[in-house]
Amino acid sequence: MTYYLTTVLVYAAVDILACLAISLQFGVSGIVNFSFIIFQAAGAYTAAVLSLPRDTANGGFQTYILGLNLSFPLPWIAATLVGALLAPPIGLVVLRRLRSDYQAIAMLVLSVIASLVVTNTPAFLDGAAGLSLVPQPLSDKFNPYSEAYLWAYTAGALILAVIVFFIAQRIINSPYGRSLRAMRENEVAAKALGKNAVALKMTVFVVGGAIAGLSGAILVGFITTWAPSTWLYPETLILFAAVIVGGRGNNYGAVLGALLVPVGFEEATRYLPPFGPPGLIPALEWVCIGGLILGFLWFRPRGVLPERRRVFPPRRQVAEVGNPSASRD
Amino acid sequence: MPVETDADPVTPVAGRPALDQPPPLLVAQHVSRHFEGVRAVEDVSIDVLPGRITGLIGPNGAGKSTFLAVLAGTLPASSGRIIFDGHDVTALPAFRRARRGLVRTFQLPSEFAQLTVLENLLAAAPDNRGDTLRGALLGKRYWKGDEDRLVEQARVLLDRFRMSAKESDYASSLSGGQKRLLEIMRALMLQPRLLLLDEPMSGVHPSIIGDIADYCEALRDEGLTILMVEHELHMIERMANPVVVMAQGSVIGQGTMAALRQQREIVDAYLVG
Repeated sequence: MTYYLTTVLVYAAVDILACLAISLQFGVSGIVNFSFIIFQAAGAYTAAVLSLPRDTANGGFQTYILGLNLSFPLPWIAATLVGALLAPPIGLVVLRRLRSDYQAIAMLVLSVIASLVVTNTPAFLDGAAGLSLVPQPLSDKFNPYSEAYLWAYTAGALILAVIVFFIAQRIINSPYGRSLRAMRENEVAAKALGKNAVALKMTVFVVGGAIAGLSGAILVGFITTWAPSTWLYPETLILFAAVIVGGRGNNYGAVLGALLVPVGFEEATRYLPPFGPPGLIPALEWVCIGGLILGFLWFRPRGVLPERRRVFPPRRQVAEVGNPSASRD
Repeated sequence: MPVETDADPVTPVAGRPALDQPPPLLVAQHVSRHFEGVRAVEDVSIDVLPGRITGLIGPNGAGKSTFLAVLAGTLPASSGRIIFDGHDVTALPAFRRARRGLVRTFQLPSEFAQLTVLENLLAAAPDNRGDTLRGALLGKRYWKGDEDRLVEQARVLLDRFRMSAKESDYASSLSGGQKRLLEIMRALMLQPRLLLLDEPMSGVHPSIIGDIADYCEALRDEGLTILMVEHELHMIERMANPVVVMAQGSVIGQGTMAALRQQREIVDAYLVG
């Protein structure tokens, strides 16, 4: 029971982080980053190859680069940095010149390319088989199979999710967040009003990439394995569905969406009695995810918890001179 | 800034100001914009004098809005130079031109729909310490002073344009005329030196057309320079001096409206009736 609960909660923390990042990029800034899962995967692989010993250890049954056997928290910090550093090259190619719909297609293609490259170069990250036996953080000092360790890991993951939530709150409630929303609403007009749209997109792309990298490190540290099959491009669509259901541009909506869709929805379907041919239930899950996206975009496009309207406190009453007071309705 | 009200003589194309006039705020020299063989703007040269409303008129498809977009940097020029306030801004992107005081509005409403009216104005305001990622991460105490100042500045504008009651409404809920006013207010938040207005009166209720004209004249009287594309010729006649006429991508004449009406080819091209 402990293992089940902690697994659900760690997945919840990882999905919350991912949804907060997608909400910043897509919900607040209008960047349709269909390559999001690449950033999470980059973080996971980074944390893995920095935690693992040389690939000649364990009989050399898997091949990968680095294998530096670094101690926690260095692999997690590096994973966050790699997620952030991956953003500029992708952003410079995709975000500078392409329109948003073409950006989305380019990102999707990039996601597929990345998966194919990793799958077909086994010497890089062990190809399709993926990495396993990834050392868990501090497993040399504590027993990673103990209940205390599982709960501590869960608490750590949730605390990181809370910290990132407050960072995301600072961003969206600031003038910088307002500029991101203005760019989302009308990029050409925002540029004509002095906003450097490329810089705005790049910064939020880097922030989202860093959060994604961290989420990948948390996940691989818990499940101790990572392979191309865990980060196929449809995983991004689940996260987008979560943000659309929860509420775009609202961090509370992102958290709610993470709990409802990737966590709640998948847990709920786990207990369905088996029926139909093998693979029918997972296939129906995808149908339901697609239905959720379409249904919400059609009937409640702003999600369960819509982006809130910013109302400023009324000005202090002062004697006004010379201004017309009549209202234009 | 004193405002010239007397009529200028008609010049066939791209006339230069007389010696006693102040130097132009904006000079467009042989500006062209081609779209894969289509010459939307062809070798256009105009001067925009400070403290005036310069009208830019012409039939649909004359290239007026394209020319305005090239001036603002929304579209790059295919050739030619644009000198603003003595500096060559031809290679600068739109956001850098805006920060220098060359600000435009759009032919179609371009409000930030899911931002409130007040937020639309604040989104345009420069010099807010919280308008960077670093500033945002440092927290509200770091940027609250700037924000309060800009909110007050925006509210003064809302008062002036009699839009205060709409402050917290989403911009998408405004009427067509209110959206036009919002665009002008939003541009004014940048404290521009030259305001490029692209058909600010199109699709607007007649009562608001008069208001927009009043506001433009008041802004001109305060020293703001305006270049305005508009089809409401009676308003152009009332406000603008000089008026530049474009047809088929080129300037075919400029001067006062009264003088332009005397030119046969201009009347044939655009002023029929």
